[in-house]
Amino acid sequence: MAWSLFNLLIFPGFLFLFVFGLAMEFVDRKLYARLQNRIGPPWFQPFADFVKLAAKEDIIPEEADSVMFRLMPAFALASVVTAFFYIPLWSTQSLFSFNGDLIVVIYLLTIPTLTFFLAGWHSTSLFSMIGATRTLTQLFAYEVPLFMAILAPALLAGTWSLSEMTVFYDQHPAYAAFNIIGLIVSLIALQGKLERVPFDIPEAETEIVGGTFTEYSGRFLAMFRIAIDIEAVVGASLIAAVFLPFGLGLGAAWGFVFYLVKVLAVIALLALLRTVLARLRIEQMVIFCWRIVAPAALFQLLINLILSGVLRP
Amino acid sequence: MKWLQKLITWARIKSPWIIHFNTGACNACDIEIVAALTPRYDIERFGILLKGTPRHADVLMCSGPVTRQIRDRLVRIYEQMPEPKFVVAVGTCACSGGVFKGCYNVKGGIDAAIPVSAYIPGCPARPEAIIDGVVKLLTSLQGAKPAPIADCGLQNADCPVGGQGAACPDLSGRRGGCSPQKAGLE
Repeated sequence: MAWSLFNLLIFPGFLFLFVFGLAMEFVDRKLYARLQNRIGPPWFQPFADFVKLAAKEDIIPEEADSVMFRLMPAFALASVVTAFFYIPLWSTQSLFSFNGDLIVVIYLLTIPTLTFFLAGWHSTSLFSMIGATRTLTQLFAYEVPLFMAILAPALLAGTWSLSEMTVFYDQHPAYAAFNIIGLIVSLIALQGKLERVPFDIPEAETEIVGGTFTEYSGRFLAMFRIAIDIEAVVGASLIAAVFLPFGLGLGAAWGFVFYLVKVLAVIALLALLRTVLARLRIEQMVIFCWRIVAPAALFQLLINLILSGVLRP
Repeated sequence: MKWLQKLITWARIKSPWIIHFNTGACNACDIEIVAALTPRYDIERFGILLKGTPRHADVLMCSGPVTRQIRDRLVRIYEQMPEPKFVVAVGTCACSGGVFKGCYNVKGGIDAAIPVSAYIPGCPARPEAIIDGVVKLLTSLQGAKPAPIADCGLQNADCPVGGQGAACPDLSGRRGGCSPQKAGLE
């Protein structure tokens, strides 16, 4: 009981994710600044933003549904923290695992996007409603390629459990090379999931002021921001576990170092994407996802189907 | 709980998010504000970010004299911002009305409508001056003496409600423009 609480609140749970999420936000912002030839924010910047927002006044608009308005940030935060427990991090064993946890993790990572939609919709403000509909439109574009890209390695491994998948790829590290298209597809989809450039259409501040979060302020906005930071870490961990299964059998210390390096690499790639690209329009985004990214993911699925017949008799 | 208050003050100084609002400027100050946001000046070093919505912002940057038409909108945007909030008047017109003072359609500087925390003169104010003004405003939160809040500039005799602590009609009676405590800056 005490151990579970410790897991839940402190080590792989909330406190660790809070610190790790803020650190990764700093890495992302600093890299973004350095790539633009700027100096960038100091290391404590995400923490200062969080404390400031938490200490500010919360305004709940008169027109908004106040229950939904208050609940949605908590839902977003809870679902991303829960998803983290099922992902193998520095060994081949995750904290909790069962056959089919891959699907659970993918669905838990969809919940934040749905809370963004509901939060924007129940704010009952014009801008947040436009942002909310865009969030949902975008969800249908990137979610299917992401599902297919992450299910393809599972097909090759012949299991629906993330832990068993990492065991399989740990025994056959060379097989990870077959999943390279899936890795690229899932990186693009993760960028869409985190609603960052070029897929920051739902919160495009030059068009629809603040998008889904237009009416949010104070603590609720702080919770949404920390949920997005943690979502970035969890998404990067998922990609690291599925597509980069290296250095898992080296014990806890080295495994942790490898894990940090993998997550940092994914975050750095996402920051690079954010720097070199500009925002797409919503229909360009949908067309791009369905015409290019989804067929690529299907191709990956096909490769892995054939390979699983050849390599795994 | 003194350390908590210290932490919050520290966070407020380190993370000012701004929103920019043109109250009737000729666009020169706006261009200088936009210039201050470019990578050349890199204001993210001080934690400053430009936000699109008043709900996220801490600092309202106004440029230009307050025209009769914009006054209601300015007050509305100001009241949409969550406490604690600060107003910075950028440019000579925003500080005092500038060359437009006395025009039939101009009420005066920003302080004719809402309480102002910092004035940045200049026609237009340079980006360096704008950054300096915001940083000075925020570091003044730390000191023992209260932040330099200007009152609305009217002498007691000219004030429609008699000044000092009375409800100010310009602010729908919610907070007096001449009382630092009520402006959330104590």
